[in-house]
Amino acid sequence: MQLVILFILLGLGTGALIAGIGLGVVLTYRGSGIINLATGAVAMVAGYMFWALQTGFFGGYGLTTVPAVLVSLVVAMGVGVVMEVAAFRPLRAASPLAKLAASLGFLLTLQAAMVLIFGDAAKQVKPILPADTVTIVGATVPVDRFILAGIVIVITAVLFAVYRWSRFGLATRAASESEGAAVYAGLSPNELSMVNTLLACLVSGLLGILASSLVQLDSATLPLQIVPALAAALFARFTSFVITCTAGLLIGVAESLLDYASTQTWFPTDHGNPMPGIKELLVFLIIVVAMFWRGASLPGRGELTEKRLPFVPQPEKLARTASIAAVVCAVALIVLPFDFRRALTLSLVGAVITMSFVVITGYVGQLSVVQLALSGVAGFVLSHLLTDAGIPFPVSPIIAVAIATVLGLLTAVSALRVRGVSLAVVTLAASLAIEQFVFVNGTWGGGNGGSPVASPYVFGVDLGTDAPFRGLDGAVPSPIFGFVALVIAVALGLYVANLRRTGLGRRMIAVRANERAAAAAGVNVRNVKLIAFGISSFIAGVAGVLYGYELGSVSAVRFGAQMALGLIAFAYVGGITMVYGAVFAGLISTEALFPYALEKWFGLSGNWALLVGGMALIVTLLLNPQGVAGASYEKPLLFSKTGHPSLLAKLISGASGKGAGTGTSGQSVPAQATSAGAPAPEVPLAPAEPGGVR
Amino acid sequence: MTVLSVRGMSVNFGGVQALSNVDIEVGEGQLVGLIGPNGAGKTTFIDAISGFVRCRGRVELSGRDLSRLPAHARARRGLARTWQSIELFDDLTVWENLAVAVEHTSVLEQLREMFRGRVVTPVACQKALETLGLSDHAQRLATELSHAERKLVGVARALAAQPRLICLDEPAAGLDTTQRADLGRRLRAMADGGTATLLVDHDMGLVLSVCDHVVVLDFGKVIAAGPPEAVRQNPAVVTAYLGGAAAEVVPTGAGS
Repeated sequence: MQLVILFILLGLGTGALIAGIGLGVVLTYRGSGIINLATGAVAMVAGYMFWALQTGFFGGYGLTTVPAVLVSLVVAMGVGVVMEVAAFRPLRAASPLAKLAASLGFLLTLQAAMVLIFGDAAKQVKPILPADTVTIVGATVPVDRFILAGIVIVITAVLFAVYRWSRFGLATRAASESEGAAVYAGLSPNELSMVNTLLACLVSGLLGILASSLVQLDSATLPLQIVPALAAALFARFTSFVITCTAGLLIGVAESLLDYASTQTWFPTDHGNPMPGIKELLVFLIIVVAMFWRGASLPGRGELTEKRLPFVPQPEKLARTASIAAVVCAVALIVLPFDFRRALTLSLVGAVITMSFVVITGYVGQLSVVQLALSGVAGFVLSHLLTDAGIPFPVSPIIAVAIATVLGLLTAVSALRVRGVSLAVVTLAASLAIEQFVFVNGTWGGGNGGSPVASPYVFGVDLGTDAPFRGLDGAVPSPIFGFVALVIAVALGLYVANLRRTGLGRRMIAVRANERAAAAAGVNVRNVKLIAFGISSFIAGVAGVLYGYELGSVSAVRFGAQMALGLIAFAYVGGITMVYGAVFAGLISTEALFPYALEKWFGLSGNWALLVGGMALIVTLLLNPQGVAGASYEKPLLFSKTGHPSLLAKLISGASGKGAGTGTSGQSVPAQATSAGAPAPEVPLAPAEPGGVR
Repeated sequence: MTVLSVRGMSVNFGGVQALSNVDIEVGEGQLVGLIGPNGAGKTTFIDAISGFVRCRGRVELSGRDLSRLPAHARARRGLARTWQSIELFDDLTVWENLAVAVEHTSVLEQLREMFRGRVVTPVACQKALETLGLSDHAQRLATELSHAERKLVGVARALAAQPRLICLDEPAAGLDTTQRADLGRRLRAMADGGTATLLVDHDMGLVLSVCDHVVVLDFGKVIAAGPPEAVRQNPAVVTAYLGGAAAEVVPTGAGS
């Protein structure tokens, strides 16, 4: 019993961290309508800065605690200013998905930057808070946990008071109700958004500094606390500070209790160790519960948004492009030296997995992070079928892909009512849970070492990487498997590109553009989404199998949430709505041609590719939402180059547009809202889709 | 022959009764106008019969009960609608916008479609585009068009599916006088071609001049119904629109 109390109280530490990051998320959302995935990364930056300043990483002499804390907080707020000015402000009128993607860009950039500056190894941070202990009901508890929880509670109280009673709080609430009206009342949404973002960075940065001695300070731990923090924020419907704080603390306590439970004999084990990933599973379940209980939709903000997603052009000259690309690749596979051959094959597989994002996100507008985890499921199923069950080549990959597809369909069924940004949050938590609970698990997944995949044989002919034909330089991997990957990539690429021209593709884009209008046109929105999830999961499954065969084994990292976020960034940069974009993303994905060449010729590690990828994502969203592939299409003027007219200009054109507007300007939010004819209690779901279909 | 028959329709939003016990019928080739002041429940009525708002009462289309069907199934059974705020598929061309409404495929057909391109017989689309004078714009993107043209595409998309009944929610809003007159002629031609039409609009002139039958809603109740001439002179209608005191200054010449 004492131990239980001890663990409950210990959990207040992590709880305070989650609550702090959660408060940052809520602050940013209220200020600018952005769900900032980089909030945990800001805490990480502050933690690293504090460590560096204290240990004298820069210049050799360390600062004392107080100046180090202050400078670190200034840096954290500096990051906030950059995020606000470089992305949140110019993207104010962009779709919620674009905003989310921009914050993803910052997450990746900050993570890569920290690793590049401070190295891979986790840092030991000297605790700031006193190391005394107190004894409560017989349990000896470090006092810093109470101080941390106390700090976060005080911050919550202050935020609550400021928002409730100060003019600034009133203004922020007014602006998030209706940005247009706030402008007329003389408020500047830009300033409000900036102040809120700075507050968010201050709060999460402070907690990052204080808690980095409790958790591990590396490039993954603090940034990924965003997932439980999102769970807390969801309970608060991204509005209430008090609920966010409470939920955050409780999640921390629950995680700590799981730590306690894992020391018990009844706790499920995996190869003698406590079962991994239970915490991640818990957070995922909490998010699902929060979605169902608090409603799957985020509270609407009365902002003036253009809800356009990147245009989906009709592919032209498919056969010609495909055959040229195929011939070039085939020749390259034979001619290139072994290391580049491997990188090219991995590029092809990367292109295939990105095609699954093209279908689900590009065509249907659903941002699902879980696709890469489905690849992983296919990869691990393949490995276990080959190794444990002894089921040979043609059958095992087919079963593996089928299982991934079915799992994808099951996800879709449960995700049908969740869309847009909410779907991204749920699937992010799901992919983290699958990674930790399934892939890291030694029984179901590959443990920490990975799980072997034997080469495929057809009628005694080796199709794998160790086939006897070795290309010009006679080294492994054999180009034979490259050919297999090439054929599959070209076939799937043609299929996905052609899909845009079919009736099904049209319906997908109709659903993406406007679910209500699609239903009114007789489109069964649910079926279209299910089919899209099915196709996308199938493609993801194929990619997982290809990864397994190419690498000779499957490991958790390859299919993890972090990798998935990177891939989505690359897919956006390449052009999320086009197969050409997927090919581009494949070329810059992990260990593919581009990063490999960077590493080999310039000695730049994969983190540089991630850094460039993260920044390129932000630049892409700002300047060229179509992505690299889209830039070559002839009609870019229509969708992106109009720039970002000032809020007021938009307001005016929106108001007159209702009466005599010319096309697009008349489509402001008010017109959409009244069309429902019903008093909408909240803007239906993610504003990307005006109205959901019941 | 009756195409649409609505009996005892009521809609509640929380405590607000948006529609109470509304009966409306639309016959084949008939153009029925639905008018009323702001907030009378006109759009709610269209939302309710097309399946976007939960309602009580019975909705029949050519004798078949639609009350329990979801929105897309009602559309496939021949109940088409447009939106006040147009709601085109902005990423598609005009022709593709229409094609989405025309291609009603079964699940099996959709599965088959996954594996081949399908060229739709564009006859229905072409006819709808011709009826609304949009043939030249077929290959343009929906976003490239003017407001008036977008309105017409909305109507064309509803028409392309060759519905039994087409409900138009303020098709004339935002159009100038010439465009309105033009739209009125096209709607009349559509109805004369046999399509039952329900027209909701604020433009009394338009509604009274082209409709065969007019229903007036106020606070969710039908306050008058009948031929346009009778409705125009109905005192209840005048009061609803202008308030009791202003009843004398009603513009009797409206619409002629």
